[in-house]
Amino acid sequence: MSALFTIAWVAAAVNVVLLAALGWVWVQGYRRHGASHTLGLLVFASLLLVQNGVWLYFYRLHEGYIGWFVNAGVDVQVGMVLLCGLETVALAFLVRITWS
Amino acid sequence: MDDVLWYVLASSRGGPTRVRILRALEERPRNANQLATDLEFDYTTIRHHLNVLMENNVVRRTDDDYAAVYLFTEQVRSNWDTVETVLEAVDPDSEAR
Repeated sequence: MSALFTIAWVAAAVNVVLLAALGWVWVQGYRRHGASHTLGLLVFASLLLVQNGVWLYFYRLHEGYIGWFVNAGVDVQVGMVLLCGLETVALAFLVRITWS
Repeated sequence: MDDVLWYVLASSRGGPTRVRILRALEERPRNANQLATDLEFDYTTIRHHLNVLMENNVVRRTDDDYAAVYLFTEQVRSNWDTVETVLEAVDPDSEAR
């Protein structure tokens, strides 16, 4: 299985972890003061969590998807890696300021 | 400025501590050491939160001395209504003036 495939699913898995960390901070904050700003962030994190859960399911358990990815051209594979990989970079920045 | 205040005070892990720092500074300007003593936090914890507040242009130091006093920036002064709204939402029990 190609390295690109591994990077893609690891990125999705890392996203799930980062979103869980962000969600934990925002749930605590929202329960404490109920600010709509915090609720907005919580909704944002929940939806991205679902999104990355779906990615992870496709990458780890969906035979049809895995077969398609492996046989797709490099351009498609790189594109799929970028979808989850860039999100990982973005979330890492958000975790950095949220955890401070 | 609104989004910065909401983020720094309400939606990040150190928010509650930074709210207490702002309340203390609102009462009267203090240096990091006094804040640590008055709020019963580690000096390094207080310095960390003051650095976050400085990076986000919420507070400034009077000078670079060890005992420098922390003050609100002009930006915060001109947005004081927002500060009140955020402080009131995050910490309604405390005295907001």
